[in-house]
Amino acid sequence: METLNRTEAVTLTGLHKTFTTSRTKVEAVRGVELGIETGQIVALLGPNGAGKTTTVDMILGLSQPTSGKVEVLGLDPRKAVSSGRVSAVMQTGGLLRDMTVLETVRVIAAMHQRPERVEAVMERTGLSGIAKRRVGKCSGGEQQRIKFALALLPDPDVLILDEPTAGMDVMARREFWATMHEEATGGRTIIFATHYLEEAQNFAERTVLMSGGRVVADGATEELRKLISGRTISATLPNEQAVVQAQRFDPSISIAERNGQRIWFKCADSDAFARALLSDYGAWDLEISAPSLEDAFIQLTKDAS
Amino acid sequence: MIATYIRVEFARHIRDGYNLIFALLLPAAMYFLFGNIPSYTEFDLGSGNVKFYLMVSMAAYGAAVSTVAIAGTVATETMQGWGRQIALTKMPPAAFVTSKMIVAATVAAASAALVFALGSATGARVTEGWIWSVSYLIILAGAMIFACYGIGVGMVFKSESALGLASGLMVFFAFFGNVFMPLEGGMLDAARFTPMYGYVALARYPLLKDIPAGYDMAPDALWIPVANLVAWALIFAVFAVVAIRKAKARQ
Repeated sequence: METLNRTEAVTLTGLHKTFTTSRTKVEAVRGVELGIETGQIVALLGPNGAGKTTTVDMILGLSQPTSGKVEVLGLDPRKAVSSGRVSAVMQTGGLLRDMTVLETVRVIAAMHQRPERVEAVMERTGLSGIAKRRVGKCSGGEQQRIKFALALLPDPDVLILDEPTAGMDVMARREFWATMHEEATGGRTIIFATHYLEEAQNFAERTVLMSGGRVVADGATEELRKLISGRTISATLPNEQAVVQAQRFDPSISIAERNGQRIWFKCADSDAFARALLSDYGAWDLEISAPSLEDAFIQLTKDAS
Repeated sequence: MIATYIRVEFARHIRDGYNLIFALLLPAAMYFLFGNIPSYTEFDLGSGNVKFYLMVSMAAYGAAVSTVAIAGTVATETMQGWGRQIALTKMPPAAFVTSKMIVAATVAAASAALVFALGSATGARVTEGWIWSVSYLIILAGAMIFACYGIGVGMVFKSESALGLASGLMVFFAFFGNVFMPLEGGMLDAARFTPMYGYVALARYPLLKDIPAGYDMAPDALWIPVANLVAWALIFAVFAVVAIRKAKARQ
């Protein structure tokens, strides 16, 4: 039966997870509310220990929330996983070193009852050339590609990637995201946890920023950058007097960094200040930059703690 | 889905060889060495001869050790995140354990069969033919209780070297369980409480059953090895369950 409401890919309500050992109690996730619509590409961004992996584990039904609720495509996570509608590339381990690449893909395909997809998936993830190689002899990037292949086997509607490029070099990372782009078509929902800002910036339409077990910011990746107002202008100034004068241009001006006569100013109205720097203070080599996601990240996580 | 998994498991074992050599060749080699000392192995014993007795002992040891080694990989592979990988498929975790058990049972069966074949070729004999098959079946069924032991040790120490430890301890259990050489007096009394005693005593029972009590090599009353086997099966099962729970809580 068709429902009028579009089902959300992932819905997290009041999600808490506390790990209790005999001595300590760690609150890894403290009240996460999140709704991700089908077809979105979302980055779960945060430093190590932000609670990203714990959240991912609960979305996959690998661990149970202490309180709160997880729904995947309107289903209980375990059901969504066993029906092959959601799959994941997990952060650590997950491969046996003495199996060959082909054996690994084959057995997992058998477990999904999708043996017919083995060849196509191996081809798409570029594993056909190393099919006979043992997993233990594969590089970090290749192993990550194997895990990616395993996640594609059930042809999932929702694909979750936990630090998918960890341990890859720059080239491997670029190749990985290129393959990823091809898979992101056809309404597939993709959620990836990362601590590389660049990846969120380049690939995600929406970024959820996590810190200390909470969501500290959530919005279109572009919007998130604008959360930090102002621009940075760097310029080389002719003398000390010019530097002093420039600082008095308006109250929003401050010096962020200085290297000799090269000054990095923070300012609110970058256009007017740039004009003044060039015409009134004799500055040259001027550069204006918008705040990076990194700046947003630092500021927002600082605010949260 | 189990069929593919089991096929790949066998492919891995054949490729690595290490486990298989231990499982198949070591018991056979031990029987060949100790079972063919001409001075006494031709002597009659119970319903057969000493060779048959030694053949049963070595086959039982081999079956148990190979079960431990293979069942233990359930633990080590789960620890390496393979369990999580499987948890993301349709296959229930129980099917993973089941396929490992099938592999373990097959290797144990092959290991014991090899020793039996060697025995049959070199003069192990019994007066009643059924003793061959019954002893063989007791060896196979009894070996399975050591699967829980292997899983438990693997889970507690969570490394591949733990499996070496588990197998190493089996040698100790074997010596102290009256498997390799007949124990006497106080040692034998203590041995009745060790894990391999009931297992191997039961496997030998069809051979020794007619020796009257009080004579050399006379078997214990049947309830003693049965009680030993059941008790250790329970202990190992509980140990495995507790170890799995603890390991899960740590994750």
